[in-house]
Amino acid sequence: MRHTISRRAFLGMSASIGAFAADGLRVRLAAAEPPRDRTPDKSLIVFWTHGGMSQQDTYDMKPDSPAEFRGVYRPIATAVPGIRITERFPHQARVMKHLSIVRSVNHQNGIHAPSAHWMQTGYFGPTLARNAPQKPSFGSVIARSRGASQSHMPPYVAVPKAEAFGYQGAVYLGAANNPFEVGADPNARDFRVPNLALPGNLPLRSVQTRTQLLKEFDTLRRDVDQSGALEGLNSFKSQALEMVTGERVRNAFDIGKENHRLRDRYGRHLYGQSALLARRLVEAGTSCVTINTGYWDHHDDIEKGLEQHLPPLDVAIGALVEDLDDRGMLNDVVIYCAGEFGRTPLINGNAGRDHWSDCFSVLLGGGGLKGGQVVGASEARGGKVIERPVSPGDLLATLYQALGISLDTHYEDASGRPVSIVGGGKPIHELL
Amino acid sequence: MRIPSGRFGNHSVLTLLVLVGTSPCAVGQPIYFDTDVVPLLTKLGCNSGGCHGKAEGQNGFRLSLLGFEPEQDYEAIVKEARGRRLVPSAPAASLFLLKATGTLAHGGGKRLAVGSDDYQTLLRWMTNGSPPARSSDPTLARVTVTPDRVTFEAGNRRQPLKVVARFSDGTSRDVTRQAVYQSNEPDLAEVDDAGVVQVKNRSGLFAVMVRYGDQIAVFHGTVPHHQKVATGSALAAWEKANAVAGIDQHLVANWKRLGVVPSRSATDEEFIRRASLDICGTLPTPNEVKAYVADTQSAKRAKLIDRLLERPEYASYFALKWGDILRNRGRGYGTSQQRTGTALFAGWIRDSVADNVPYDRFVSELLTASGSQETNPPTVWYRTTRTSSEYVESVAQAFLGIRIQCAQCHHHPAERWSQADYFQLAAVFARVGRKGGFADAEVPTSETIFLADRGEVVHPRTGNVMRPRPPGGPDFELSQYDDPRRALAKWMTADDNPFFARTMANRMWGHFLGRGIIHPIDDARSTNPPSNPELLDALAKEFVTNRYDVKHLIRVICNSTAYGLSSIPEDANKDDVQSFARYYPRRLPAEVLLDGIGHVLESPTKFRSVAGDFPAGTRAIDLPDEAVPSQFLDVFGRPARNSACECERVDAPALGQTLALIGSPEIQDKLTADKGYVKRLAGNGKAHDENVRDIFLRVFGRPPRPKEAAAAVKYLESEADRKEGYSSLLWSLLATNEFLFNH
Repeated sequence: MRHTISRRAFLGMSASIGAFAADGLRVRLAAAEPPRDRTPDKSLIVFWTHGGMSQQDTYDMKPDSPAEFRGVYRPIATAVPGIRITERFPHQARVMKHLSIVRSVNHQNGIHAPSAHWMQTGYFGPTLARNAPQKPSFGSVIARSRGASQSHMPPYVAVPKAEAFGYQGAVYLGAANNPFEVGADPNARDFRVPNLALPGNLPLRSVQTRTQLLKEFDTLRRDVDQSGALEGLNSFKSQALEMVTGERVRNAFDIGKENHRLRDRYGRHLYGQSALLARRLVEAGTSCVTINTGYWDHHDDIEKGLEQHLPPLDVAIGALVEDLDDRGMLNDVVIYCAGEFGRTPLINGNAGRDHWSDCFSVLLGGGGLKGGQVVGASEARGGKVIERPVSPGDLLATLYQALGISLDTHYEDASGRPVSIVGGGKPIHELL
Repeated sequence: MRIPSGRFGNHSVLTLLVLVGTSPCAVGQPIYFDTDVVPLLTKLGCNSGGCHGKAEGQNGFRLSLLGFEPEQDYEAIVKEARGRRLVPSAPAASLFLLKATGTLAHGGGKRLAVGSDDYQTLLRWMTNGSPPARSSDPTLARVTVTPDRVTFEAGNRRQPLKVVARFSDGTSRDVTRQAVYQSNEPDLAEVDDAGVVQVKNRSGLFAVMVRYGDQIAVFHGTVPHHQKVATGSALAAWEKANAVAGIDQHLVANWKRLGVVPSRSATDEEFIRRASLDICGTLPTPNEVKAYVADTQSAKRAKLIDRLLERPEYASYFALKWGDILRNRGRGYGTSQQRTGTALFAGWIRDSVADNVPYDRFVSELLTASGSQETNPPTVWYRTTRTSSEYVESVAQAFLGIRIQCAQCHHHPAERWSQADYFQLAAVFARVGRKGGFADAEVPTSETIFLADRGEVVHPRTGNVMRPRPPGGPDFELSQYDDPRRALAKWMTADDNPFFARTMANRMWGHFLGRGIIHPIDDARSTNPPSNPELLDALAKEFVTNRYDVKHLIRVICNSTAYGLSSIPEDANKDDVQSFARYYPRRLPAEVLLDGIGHVLESPTKFRSVAGDFPAGTRAIDLPDEAVPSQFLDVFGRPARNSACECERVDAPALGQTLALIGSPEIQDKLTADKGYVKRLAGNGKAHDENVRDIFLRVFGRPPRPKEAAAAVKYLESEADRKEGYSSLLWSLLATNEFLFNH
């Protein structure tokens, strides 16, 4: 493990609080006991289709159904015989042997916030009326259980920001496991990360002077604190200073260092450059990057909405797969594209599709997961699962398994109750 | 011995012959399902929450969590799956045993060795015909552990425990190997599956929970300092030099027991900073520090504490704390009209703290509140707390100091709380009625709370209607016209209530000393005992005797020896984390930190909300709710007020915090503020050393040490731009642990 001892130690300490209450529930606190079969360098890149992407127009097409179901797009063949996806996904079609589609995802809620919580955490919890987050997101679980593979990097990053419901956070796993938000568009000409920027017009030299002064005056004895808080803060001080003044972290975020042709391949848009930034970050040691680039809630005129989002998403995923493959990283990086739910099979009176959680699709690939597979199936016009239902918890279990995080891991909530990271989910064995 | 009969006969006799002398149960005794089989399933981990004990079971086989519902377990083992788990004609070939022994593939691996005592017990039960529990079976009366209390003197690092189960028919049996064990302080002592306690190289107190079946026993361990003899004489000298009275006696008694010597007394500078921060959430000014240090009167600490308790900041700071515990949420109340409730409740809490309303009255007014949320502020508690589980969990955690959440779905694994306890407490609130209000927000607001004519809570498993009853108390005697909430408040605030005063005393002790006597402060259990029971009892008694006077309680705590000790460890207490032999430092809470930075830099924070700007001079500790936007406060752990647990306020360090300290525009703006301290220093024409003195008093509440003064002046002289110099110096001091921590 490459984490610094001190950080480990204090995380371990906070984890042991109240462990007694957990008796008998076989708590496996990651800090106390590293997960079995840990695969240290695997990481995850997520394309989060916030708002809900239409499965019927993308990964689970129904070309033979009546027009009011099938939508405007035609399916195309992919590199894998038998798998057909939308004509707007030619890049993914080309690399389909590395990607798998799960067509039978379902849960029992049709409202954005509760559904987003379910898909992000594996748990139904908040409702519209009570929308506070209750469980940690999978990104925070990954951050908590394994940190970053390079300790100077933030373990969990959201590009450009975490989604608006606030369900990509850590909740009881503590603020340290919230996503680090990039806070700017990586496609912008003057892209820089506000959180890493120096305040005002402060020159780097001033920060270096200040850092020197801090070293001089930061003399409170370390042994006054046995709780780990002081030691932990010291280690985060060093990390923060390293991020702001050092080269390594700035480098990782400096997308301008990429070759222009490669940047073009990813596409000069928010999707493409976010995906490229994500690749730079996982390469530098971040464990999970979530890309929140679009709002897919297409109740009206869905064609117009999809025309904006499908092509750039496709270019980004296609380029990411090929780029990772070129670098020999494809087996180390899991790619996941999902949102809170899908959309109604029947097109509504406004030429849009509404919320649909009874049956929708997600995309998984890389990281050693089997590619070129289709898991599950929906009925003739979509709408219902007819084969191999997959729950949000099953998806998380699959991701954790691929990343080498033990599915037995439990973390204590505010009441000291150990809560499973998968909530009963089981990994999709067809992909492992 | 049951006479084996019919087709099992020969097999049983054969098995019994093999068993002679090996079974934990003397041959001749039957094997009982409830008291023999189920506890084994617990010991083997079969019914744990990670395996068959979880709500959905494991691979189609579901047991009750930790065996608290044996009838259900009998059904699952014997009857479910068309009985294929057991083979009556050949018990040893039963799936039940083949899986557990790993003979057949088992997701949980091998839990049981073929032929072991536990194996034989299970086999014998099956050979006997797998009998269910009968009403005539002896029941488990209690479990005892011996020894139940050990002091691990030097050289004694190991203690095997012996556990005996006693049954209702008067018999008893050694169940040491079948019991399960858990230490509440794994850093201090561990216990293995065989019940052997092993202590580590730290001193302190710990408890080991011993469970067999549904009964619990507790072993208490004391690990004194390894040089107890030497520390003993040091402690004697300390006692001679310090008049020990009041609650201090209990502290000293504990130090003696542990061989711990307290650190020296805090300096005046340390004490005024500490007390100002803990009582008022506010840093002392340089003049306050100077005046306090110069004060030569006797009892000046007590007088300082009295003065601080009369300041408005005390009311603000403790109102903030209660706003967290009572979950006075602002999030979701988007319009100024909706915010009224939040502001009203915040104001009521603050007034109650400022007026020092007796704590029993404060809580009673909350729990029994009826009427409009627009005119009767405590009813606003019912705005955020509105479901059965929220009533139960908030009341239990906030006022009784117990975590009863587990019992919503199953018997509490480490306490006596059953589902009945949970749902009977819920029944107290079954008739809370609501009318009116509007709900264009997260939850309805401006409702009227009233006692409805009817309303009931049913036990989810038995379906029985539950009678209102407090945890561990008797059913309330109520007529249709009585509000059960009144009965609860009366029970809770009775002088002999075992939870109420102790919880508050512990909460306040935890606030000032950095750790509860019961830790965590809201997790009182026999299996998580107080680190100093006599001290907690004395504090609770003091609180009750003084009619729940909160300021009195604070005075008692702040005037204690423990509160006045230095945080610098001595050899004889450096690993102490629970006997309060020194002050335990902790990071300033988010609001106190932001206010402190504003105070040092003479640049208060401007707060805005949907309802408009807060008046100039509003400090973070004055804010009515958690929804007033502030990135800084969120990053430093301001709670979202999602639960009644103080643990929601996180002081764990995070990268975002240190990034904010280094680069936050909020701090940079304060450093460069037009009317700010830096500007004033840059333009006041005074010598650097004079300014440096003021800076240190302000930031740390102490003058600079000569070395520090020299370094600061040297740096300032090297910097051509005076403003840049002071700005950089202050930035670096505000990022030191000495500033960030209360110590």
